[in-house]
Amino acid sequence: MILLKDIRWVYQGADTAVLHGLDLYIRRGETVVLCGPSGSGKSTALRLMNGLIPFFHEGTLDGEVRVRGEPITDLAQVGRVTGTVLQHPRRQFFTDAIDTELAFALENFGTPPQRIRDRVGEVIAELGLADLTGRLRELSGGQQQRVACAAAITHGPPLLLLDEPTSNLSPRGIADLTAILRHLREQGVTLVIAEHRLHYLRELADRIVVLQDGRVGREWTRAEFAGLTDEMLREEGLRGLDAPGRAGVAPAFAYGPSVEPGESRPRETAPAGEAGERAGVATAPGPGAGGAGVALRGIRCAFGGRPVLDIAEAHLPAGVITAVTGPNGAGKTTLARILAGLQRHAGQVLLDGRPLSRSRRQRACAIVMQDVQRQLFTDSVTAELRLGTTPDHAEHAAAVVADLGLDGLGDRHPLSLSGGQQQRLVVATARLSGSSIVIFDEPSSGVDRRHLQSMTRTMRDVAANGAVVVLISHDADLLALAADQELRLCPLR
Amino acid sequence: MTGTTPQLGPATLAGTMPATPEGTATRWVLDPRTAVVLLLAASVTIMAPDGIWFVPAALVAGVLLAILERAWRRAIGLPLAAGAAAALTYLLPMAVPSPVFGLVGVLAGFALRLVAVGGIAAHLVRTIPPTRLIAALRSARVPMAFTVSGAVLLRFVPTIVAETRAVYDAMRLRGLGGWWAMLRHPVRSIEYFMVPLMASSLRAAGDLSASSLLRGLGSEARPTSMHPPRFGPADAVAAVVAVILAAATLLWRSGQ
Repeated sequence: MILLKDIRWVYQGADTAVLHGLDLYIRRGETVVLCGPSGSGKSTALRLMNGLIPFFHEGTLDGEVRVRGEPITDLAQVGRVTGTVLQHPRRQFFTDAIDTELAFALENFGTPPQRIRDRVGEVIAELGLADLTGRLRELSGGQQQRVACAAAITHGPPLLLLDEPTSNLSPRGIADLTAILRHLREQGVTLVIAEHRLHYLRELADRIVVLQDGRVGREWTRAEFAGLTDEMLREEGLRGLDAPGRAGVAPAFAYGPSVEPGESRPRETAPAGEAGERAGVATAPGPGAGGAGVALRGIRCAFGGRPVLDIAEAHLPAGVITAVTGPNGAGKTTLARILAGLQRHAGQVLLDGRPLSRSRRQRACAIVMQDVQRQLFTDSVTAELRLGTTPDHAEHAAAVVADLGLDGLGDRHPLSLSGGQQQRLVVATARLSGSSIVIFDEPSSGVDRRHLQSMTRTMRDVAANGAVVVLISHDADLLALAADQELRLCPLR
Repeated sequence: MTGTTPQLGPATLAGTMPATPEGTATRWVLDPRTAVVLLLAASVTIMAPDGIWFVPAALVAGVLLAILERAWRRAIGLPLAAGAAAALTYLLPMAVPSPVFGLVGVLAGFALRLVAVGGIAAHLVRTIPPTRLIAALRSARVPMAFTVSGAVLLRFVPTIVAETRAVYDAMRLRGLGGWWAMLRHPVRSIEYFMVPLMASSLRAAGDLSASSLLRGLGSEARPTSMHPPRFGPADAVAAVVAVILAAATLLWRSGQ
């Protein structure tokens, strides 16, 4: 199905080759996982298979690429026989409704209208999308990724390429995606998946290919893969094979309609009055709302009259990492924006017992956003680290930079760094900002095991300096490593 | 892993369709060709010399379209904005004769024309998804260079708005936002704003372009449409209303 032979690829303007001596053959109907450390060339290999290299990304390519026995001549030609799913489904949608998004490729390839309508109906039924209502941008991340998969296969390509498709998905979203991939596999579709998270692929993959320094470092069959120990995976820089549990994570002190009670959590014991009676109660045997850290009182927020967050009371203590979890639409990002003073709301936010206005919260808070390019303002890594760094924290700059693998990049323009390096740079600026509240919003998408650990160390350092650390994440690996307590939110009904 | 694994297969939900068939033109939605012609006609007429006479007609059209779309805020806001701009254009220079207010009046006059055209443009942006626009313009034999770039522009406007907000938020949290910082260091503030905005927008544009090209956008095949565009009763009503408004304007002008 796919042949990559002695590939060497250098992106335009780059000094080193991303792929160097890559040889890979993928058979028809096979499910192959490409894994490896950040920067090992997983995404680049996928771009070779769908022709984005060299027809979209510029650079120098040597070697032979064949898809279904043919060399790639243009994007539309290879687009007819491949479907591609990217990390962020929302960015790749061209329309805002399921049927038009599914019809998009068929329309562009000139399929007759009646055939398009029939095929769109077939795929909606086949992938169970009929229960999804509303506009695409209003669906959860997992639902959007299901639609992205459907849009990639509606024109019937025999090959589906997925680039870290679970990086922004909750466990439920991963389960949904796994079911779709299993179904496609049974239909005979060849699947190539570049991925850091491996646990959901254990029963799915026929072959696991570990890329290292731009070439194939190791290959395992499914049976060999299932028998690997965590130690062996760590040696390769790979994440674990088992979905990590968070049994030991204590629930945060919180109650209110937006707070999920949770089966393992003690039911509310203390809150009196109206808030306690409205259910949606979870609490911890932890500290009360009066200690150091952030206290939330009567926080309510609505968009266009529709309530999205309602927390009667919560305490996020200083010095520990509080994970904020829950499905899409539960109000995680809204809570982060309220903590950072970016969102209007009813109720009070207190820091160390004193009410903090929105503008003061903006000065007291640092956020590591999901799309870190929005936070890189200057023309060098050194200047970026200096911007907003207090003198007290500047002395730690060298240690933080080394720990996050940013050594020797001081003169580089932040936008010339890889995605992972950009993310770690923003994490470093948050670490050095000396802020009292530091929020990490999905900081681990596209991050390998080594950097997951260094990111956890950074969060722990921030917490150890007395800051309130809030971690918003779906990544079970990161939550298992980093979360000290968990505030689980649920959507309001 | 938590959560249940959904069961896939045609047996469960065979033949059903989602509730938001964006591509299906409902009876009282204008065909994109009608909306584009209305917009072009209003723009050319109003921006021409003496075009100010046609502002009330365009405003009436904009309000009627907003009501059709049930965009109540726009239906009320449009005449209010136009009333405010008209007051600045005509009443302010009369009340306070001064060169400064005269200049304000001239600028408000331009704003008044933009508001009048903006009402019709807002209807087009809000109600016509990019793929319907492509299909309609294609059937009007508009060259592909215009259909594809127009649709991509329509698709990308909301992304730019979202990125602008996010970058401004990020600036505020790094202490770079706010009026005071912008007044003290205007050039640096613009740089701090534009560099991340361009970087994040380019990244979003890259993903969208790659995904669209791989799904055949702009390919050599002659594209088709799941729901081929068709003129309906709404288009006939719109044409009649447009002619009535134009005729009323001409009569009013000749009467003056």
